[in-house]
Amino acid sequence: MASTTEAVDRIRPAPVPGPARPGRPESHGRSAALFLAPFVVLYVLFIIGPALYGLVMSFFDTSMVKPGLRSFAGFDNYAEALGSSDFWHSLWHTIWFTILTTPPLVVLALVFAILAERVPRGRWFFRLAFFLPYVLPSAVVALIWLFLYTPALGLAGKIVTSVGLTEPNWLGDQNWAMVSLAITTVWWTLGFNFVLYLAGLQEIPRELYEASAIDGAGPWQQIRRVTIPLLGRTTALVVVLQIIASLKVFDQMYIMTDGGPNFSTRSVLQYIYDVGFTSYRTGYAAAASTLFFLVVLAISAVWLMLTRRQSLGWAAKAGGEG
Amino acid sequence: MTAHGPHRSTDSAPHLTRRGLLRAAFAGAGFAALAGCSTPVGAGLANTRLDPGTVDYWNLFGGGDGVRMQQMEDGYRKAHPDTKLQAVTLSWGDPYYTKLSLATVGGKPPNVAVSHLTRMKTLVQAGLLQELHPDDLARHGMTPDKFNQRAWQASLVDGKIYAIPIDTHPFVLFYNTDVCEKAGLLDSNGQLVPIVGEEAFADALTKVKQVTGAYGATHGINADSASCWRLFQTFYSQLEGEVLAENGTEIVLDDAKAKRVLDYLRSLTVEKGLIPVSDYQGAIALFADGKAGFHLNGEWEITTFQTAKMPFSMTLVPNVFGGPHAVQADSHTLVLPVLPGQDHAQLDLSLGFVKSMLDQSDVWAAGGHVPAWQPYASSDAYRQLNPQHSYAAAADTAVYDPPGWYSGSGSVFETIMGSAVGGVESGQFSPDVAIAQIRSKLSVLAKTAPPV
Amino acid sequence: MTTIAHPAVLGEQEAPAAHALAATVDRRIRLFNRCCAGILIALALIWLVPLAWAVDTALKPNAETTKITWWIDNPTFDSFRAIIRDTDILNWYASSFITSAISAFGTVVTGSLAAYALSRMRFRLRGVVFWFILIGIMIPQQVLIVPLFRELDSVNLLNTYWSVALPQIPLAIAVFIFKQFFDGLPRELDEAARMDGASFFRTYRRVVMPLCRPVVSAVAIFTFVWSWNNLLWPLLAMTNPKLMTIPVGLATVQGTYGIRYADTMASAILGALPLVLVFLLFQRRIVEGIAGTGLKG
Repeated sequence: MASTTEAVDRIRPAPVPGPARPGRPESHGRSAALFLAPFVVLYVLFIIGPALYGLVMSFFDTSMVKPGLRSFAGFDNYAEALGSSDFWHSLWHTIWFTILTTPPLVVLALVFAILAERVPRGRWFFRLAFFLPYVLPSAVVALIWLFLYTPALGLAGKIVTSVGLTEPNWLGDQNWAMVSLAITTVWWTLGFNFVLYLAGLQEIPRELYEASAIDGAGPWQQIRRVTIPLLGRTTALVVVLQIIASLKVFDQMYIMTDGGPNFSTRSVLQYIYDVGFTSYRTGYAAAASTLFFLVVLAISAVWLMLTRRQSLGWAAKAGGEG
Repeated sequence: MTAHGPHRSTDSAPHLTRRGLLRAAFAGAGFAALAGCSTPVGAGLANTRLDPGTVDYWNLFGGGDGVRMQQMEDGYRKAHPDTKLQAVTLSWGDPYYTKLSLATVGGKPPNVAVSHLTRMKTLVQAGLLQELHPDDLARHGMTPDKFNQRAWQASLVDGKIYAIPIDTHPFVLFYNTDVCEKAGLLDSNGQLVPIVGEEAFADALTKVKQVTGAYGATHGINADSASCWRLFQTFYSQLEGEVLAENGTEIVLDDAKAKRVLDYLRSLTVEKGLIPVSDYQGAIALFADGKAGFHLNGEWEITTFQTAKMPFSMTLVPNVFGGPHAVQADSHTLVLPVLPGQDHAQLDLSLGFVKSMLDQSDVWAAGGHVPAWQPYASSDAYRQLNPQHSYAAAADTAVYDPPGWYSGSGSVFETIMGSAVGGVESGQFSPDVAIAQIRSKLSVLAKTAPPV
Repeated sequence: MTTIAHPAVLGEQEAPAAHALAATVDRRIRLFNRCCAGILIALALIWLVPLAWAVDTALKPNAETTKITWWIDNPTFDSFRAIIRDTDILNWYASSFITSAISAFGTVVTGSLAAYALSRMRFRLRGVVFWFILIGIMIPQQVLIVPLFRELDSVNLLNTYWSVALPQIPLAIAVFIFKQFFDGLPRELDEAARMDGASFFRTYRRVVMPLCRPVVSAVAIFTFVWSWNNLLWPLLAMTNPKLMTIPVGLATVQGTYGIRYADTMASAILGALPLVLVFLLFQRRIVEGIAGTGLKG
């Protein structure tokens, strides 16, 4: 690009025998330290440090309202969490939420993207419609859907009754609450997967479609034989990202049902919030957080394995070159 | 549409792009916002005090109570035009106490906050509330003798004052005067004849059921552990039973007494069908529509039934088990969270606000609460306030939730007790199963090291 | 469906028959595409309903909200005025803006500096540092809320903008995004500049960063949006209504509204407005960012 050489020219001082000469590999330790410092300092202070502190705290009966680590509890906190039906229930609720949301979020996004790919004009409108909810804060989404789900006054109820069915108690019935939250979540986050799939569809070479058309495939068969198989990698990515995101769900439950009715929508994170900050038991909450982290870690490992070619490439570059 | 490469030249030649203009507008708006609210921004950046010289007040009153509280807040503003009052209402229950605790731990709590008496003790043990000194209180006209003694004594912790009770809100019996008259349960003054004993109460409900053709009484059962707990605690305390001791570390549940109460409740709901299984709002609606002659709930629903323009009155919950009268209740109190850097002037402002709330006890009592402020409670005006005055005695026989870090209004203790009782009333399991469930769940909490 | 003869056979007939064949296929495809368009438009309209309903409700007077209909008898901005006047929403705007701007700026600067070191400099611990930062991608902020709270409480930083912004700055993924981009830039650029005596910092600032504008803006926008929408940590760190960010404010003070649905919807719309504007201005960047990062796997 012409602009880059201009950029280089602008800062190039009069040629002078400079100190840095390629040919003999030298260490840039000091410069590297300076460049890395801002990030690493904040990283240690706010990510690694708390992670280690949390691990330590989990072995004590630390309290939110008292200073210090307080009494040593050994593995008691972990034993309590593993033996606590509340903990396992919250884990199950999180998994149930993941099961309710992942298939629609993957399949619907794929269907919408395939449809959108066939409509080249007006793409901006579809992107707006499906992706706009994604940029909204969870609190906004929650307030809107709380209103939609209001018994007798909400639009959701009106739609259901207008086709002759009875309105369920969207957020007050233990059997419906999680489903209602799942519907809200699908509306909220489908746009992200939609965009991912749309981009994946662009990557499929035109020639494959043309070849299949020559072989007699109609559009429907093209989708089945060409599109879907070639989206396998994108789909795997979407599914794993979706599962990881669902495990960390908190906002919708907290705002719309506060974990109710009768704790039936309380997710793991909300359980941690409740025991750590409502009941003041931060040591126990740290233990529950560690257990939760292990679950997330296991699934993230799957993600890393899926992208391992890429990450191995990173590792090679870091270790091997220059 | 591809995703490779930039779409325009990326050299830094200055020219007015749409993006540049919008970026400037964004930044401009940002600065305008900053300039418009300088105090929070300063506090947020430099951790200075927020809004000195104002009164920040948090409460958890929604619905009818919320309207009355706003009236009282306006009353304060009219009486003190020079002081800025900022009131915030948060959702009732655990969310309120969590936020209050987090804000106090985080160093920026409100100046004054509402707290249930039963939750206030845990806040004190957590070191989150300021001790109130008798001299400061006396300076504002608040001396111990001016309060309902039962509430006042209950709100002391180790003899020290941390909270100012403004009311007691007991569980009461609402009754439909028309229906009860037809059932022959009213005396010559149109008041309910006092009902004493299990048989008498079941009898009354049966007579009322014959009149309404539907039910005798209603109270929230489904998804309403609070109401179930309150009813159970009322009857159980009439048998002089207790649930927890030693600040929640010991379970002293009397199985026999508990079973007696649960059997009785089950007979009224499952066996005789005198009380239907409904949720909180359903129970209110059934009573308001005249499908039941009695309604058991907290007194705060008085406004609901007044608005529904139905013929009703209220009285103490009957002494069904015949011992000393007891009824479940809690009190609302006003507390001052620990505020770093609070000076004398701020303390006076806060206490002045508390006094103003007490002075407006008449507005608060209109909402059904039994005022703790004796200058009003013993006045003629209150004596003539009907039906509120008919259950005012409940303030002296009120039984508060047992102290414990996991106990109190809206706490997990109430949820555990209430859902077990509710399960018995809705016929899901037997009293024995309920008692076993209570014991197993409470023992986990009792064994846990208290975080305060 | 009619079968189509093998191209080899068709080859003898050349243009006319091939043209007719293409026409039939074209027509079928076009019909299919039109169906797709119809279905998609319907779906898109359905997707827009909740937001549209919220706007519609916000423009109604509170009393009218009990009627479930799109038509508004007396449209009014009263709800918006009430929210701006009676709640702290302007303070929430300020708080969100300040914390998100600090986060975005911090992430871009620290992330690109670190990535530049990893990409362009040689030093003994390079591999170690690389893997050290890699761990960070696996640790979500949600897992750290308990120790973070205690940590910031102990230095009295809770309820300041810093308590929200600082923990959000060190984003490991940003380092890798920048590094990947830097790795893709030809080394000759740097080396030319370095040979002529420019320091690393000069090269970074004048040569490399100007080329990064798309990446910088993508990372900045993403961090800004993510930081703006973060609820869990700010919920714990900012507990005074005057200092809350928009999501926390909306989530916390909902008790005040009760049945004033128009007011509630107005607060939701006002809360959504800034990011909707960001989206409308930068949607291309956002979409490309997602597509790019997502598909790099």
